[in-house]
Amino acid sequence: MPRYVVERTFDGGLEIPTDPNGFNAMMGVVGNNAKEQVTWVQSFVSADKTKTYCIYDGPSPEAIRRAAELNSLPVDVISEVRVLDPYFYVGPSS
Amino acid sequence: MLLERDGLLASLEHLVDLAGDGAGSMAMIAGEAGTGKTSLMNELARRIEPRGRVLIGGCDPLTTPRPLSPLMDIAADPDAHFTGHDLAESDPFSLFADVLDDLKGTIRPTLLVIEDMHWADEATLDFLRYIGRRVADTKAVVACTYREDELGPDHPLRTVLGDLATRQSTVRFSVDPLTVEAVGYLASESRHDPADLHRVTGGNAFYVTEILATGEDLPGSVSDAVMARVRRLTPPAQRVVEGVSVAPRDLVVDHALALSGAELSDIDEATLSGVVVARGARLAFRHELARSAVEESLPMGRRLSLHREMIDLLRADEDLDLARLAHHASRAGDGSLVVEYAPEAARQASLRGAHREAAEFFELALIQAGRMMPSELAQLRLDLAVELSILDRQEQALQQLLLAAAFYREGSDHLMLAGALRQLSNSLWRTSDLEGARRAIDEAIQLLQGAGDDEALALAHEESAYNWMLARRHAPALEDLARCKELAERSDADHVMLRHDYMAATVETVLGDAERGLDGLKRVESLFRQHGDDRLAVSALGMLGSGAGEVRRYDTALDALGTAIAEGLRTDADYSVAYNRSWQARIAFEQGKWDEATGISELVLEDRYGRAAIAPVTALGALGRVRVRRGDPRAEEALGEALRIGDGCEMQHLWPPSCGLAELAWLEGRSAEIPGILDWVWRQALAADSRWARGEVGLWMWKAGAIDGSPEHAAEPYALHMDGKWREAADTWHEIGCPYEEGLALAEGDEEGMLEAIRILDGLGARPAARIVRSRLRAMGVAHIPQGPRSETRANPAGLTNRQVEVLGLMAQGLSNGEIADRLYISKKTTEHHVSAVLAKLGATTRAKAIARAESLHLTKDGGGGLS
Repeated sequence: MPRYVVERTFDGGLEIPTDPNGFNAMMGVVGNNAKEQVTWVQSFVSADKTKTYCIYDGPSPEAIRRAAELNSLPVDVISEVRVLDPYFYVGPSS
Repeated sequence: MLLERDGLLASLEHLVDLAGDGAGSMAMIAGEAGTGKTSLMNELARRIEPRGRVLIGGCDPLTTPRPLSPLMDIAADPDAHFTGHDLAESDPFSLFADVLDDLKGTIRPTLLVIEDMHWADEATLDFLRYIGRRVADTKAVVACTYREDELGPDHPLRTVLGDLATRQSTVRFSVDPLTVEAVGYLASESRHDPADLHRVTGGNAFYVTEILATGEDLPGSVSDAVMARVRRLTPPAQRVVEGVSVAPRDLVVDHALALSGAELSDIDEATLSGVVVARGARLAFRHELARSAVEESLPMGRRLSLHREMIDLLRADEDLDLARLAHHASRAGDGSLVVEYAPEAARQASLRGAHREAAEFFELALIQAGRMMPSELAQLRLDLAVELSILDRQEQALQQLLLAAAFYREGSDHLMLAGALRQLSNSLWRTSDLEGARRAIDEAIQLLQGAGDDEALALAHEESAYNWMLARRHAPALEDLARCKELAERSDADHVMLRHDYMAATVETVLGDAERGLDGLKRVESLFRQHGDDRLAVSALGMLGSGAGEVRRYDTALDALGTAIAEGLRTDADYSVAYNRSWQARIAFEQGKWDEATGISELVLEDRYGRAAIAPVTALGALGRVRVRRGDPRAEEALGEALRIGDGCEMQHLWPPSCGLAELAWLEGRSAEIPGILDWVWRQALAADSRWARGEVGLWMWKAGAIDGSPEHAAEPYALHMDGKWREAADTWHEIGCPYEEGLALAEGDEEGMLEAIRILDGLGARPAARIVRSRLRAMGVAHIPQGPRSETRANPAGLTNRQVEVLGLMAQGLSNGEIADRLYISKKTTEHHVSAVLAKLGATTRAKAIARAESLHLTKDGGGGLS
């Protein structure tokens, strides 16, 4: 499945409480994503909490958008990406 | 008593109670063979009976099932308020409507059970789709049982399940095998070790009870267990059981007596032993597994002779049951009887619109090819090809036609060969061999010159005109039409003249005066219906849909496509349903309804192996172009695939994906590549007569600077755009209903136009295009360029963002700011900010006034919501 980065903008800043409500919200998002075979891998949030960069695995950009709709999440840009890991490469043997 | 089914039963009973309150549902109940679905349904029926109405029907395991057998069974029940229609006379749709009325009109709830859906015939699957979409408004629970393990990947029930599964009113259940504990409970009186018993049977309830009933050591197999029970009967009762075993679902008592030479008392012995059960005047096995165990235990000679005796018995009936006759004939290995019954059964099925069955019957007959006269065989191939083509099994249809044509060629039967070539031309076109299609129809025409059959020659010219129309060549199409008309007049055959009018209207629509053409098509469609030719009427609707679609008369197109698809689904017209849906996707794309477009495209693309290319090409084109306009990934992939699959297709199918690639190049600043991308399509468009092709392809060539002004005969809004009349172009696009094109036109205008363009493009989510317009404005030194709206903002009356609409919804529910903040996972401060924005945009001074104002604008209809 392709991997995508989804950029989102939250008008007033994103706030998710670190309590059972927050937990339920996250599980709700995961559940809705599953309906579109979309997996939320990880997100990165800007310091002022207005922008997020979310890593997703999913079958198509349309599935990402539909999952976002189910979760009432905004979608600014979707880009397809590959993982690049600096420690994956093997250097010269020491 | 039933073990481990309490949860299921409780849920199903609850559904029935809800139905009593007016909220119906469809319960899809899956389980392996022998898990006890029937026992479950019987127990449920028993519990429901006091307070609801129970109607039960089942599907046939026939080689080719009787259409609508479950509904026909139920119709015979006195509690049912609908009657079975004579299906040879009327159309299934009116029966479905009667059933629906019945399910809506009762006071007590209804439990309608249809068993063994994995054997459902096409018409019953249509019924399932039909009722599944409407059951929520009835007072019924429609419960369908089926064997999941018998559904191969291509099984038609899967598509229906897929269609219905996402509806709220569909609930899925699974009847699981028994646990070791349950098996232990059942086996508590026996000496079997529960774990062993569970292992041998896999927890299958039927196997378990069979084995326990023999009271002996664990048998090697279930068949042994069943046979052990059977062998304890007296010989005459055994013969009764054997007789019932060869009948596919059940057997009329009289036939059972005749087959076995037994007495009624032997029948009683058989039913009392539990091996078979009585259902009205018919006998059946409790379970299909038992039936097939007995049938397979029969020595081949005896089995064959039983099938042959059944055929004799069935032939004595006045109304021949062709489905059963064909089944027994095939099992009896009686090829000549298959040849006698199957083709006729196929033709009946085809007339009824049951094309899948028709194809199956023809294929059964085809196996007996060696028994037929070669001319009979050739005709059979032609008839089968018609069905296969409707079912979108194009490669197979082509194969049959090539064989038939070869035969007629050898025999120098010019008339028949010409007829076969006509069909062949169509089939070659569908399999993307355009030159072959043209050669075939030309040959047909040549063969018929001076053959003295005006009708046949007229129809050949009609097919040729059709072929030219598909290639968008006006003059040659008109020539063929003129010839066709002359001959139709001479032959004085009404139906031929009607075909001429049909093709003439189609040609007019895409190549001439669209309004006149569309009126003509509508007239032709109703004439076809009056003549009872539903198939051609639906075909006319399809032409209306794609024809109106190409010339961008969207209301007419969508109307026609919707009806055509509904009818196509009912009559197994897979080819036409796929193509019509792909047009819905294309139109949705052109109208800026991009989520709809991609959703429909995905539906079309799910299922495309062995099918004609035009549907997936059109669907991929729509999908790819949406991605281009949104700036989403994999745009090039989708469009490239469209062009690859579409290799060999007409220009009319390939220009949209090509323009998609051209547009992508423009958006990414690679305009220099456009002339190369559009080379082939542009040359084709210039050689052909489609104004809309010249328009759109021309536009991209013009934007790339490859041509100066609009090409001759380009469609109006494109021509205006290329001639610099951006405002008129935008207005025209606005009237037609193409917001993106409207935006592109405005973007060529002055500052005001460009700002308007940005508003439209932002609203569509067309990021790349909006970015280009913004940078142009910046280059012009324009100061106040509106920020991209939060992509959350979609059109809504007071100009509220989506987040603000949500907040409003929660306000209307009476939540305080703090509660709203918690619900939406935002801070209280942000909530207050949203609430004041909402008040401001609604021009209200208090919360209450804001809510009232919002209600009057219908803004609180969908409620707020936040995360699910």
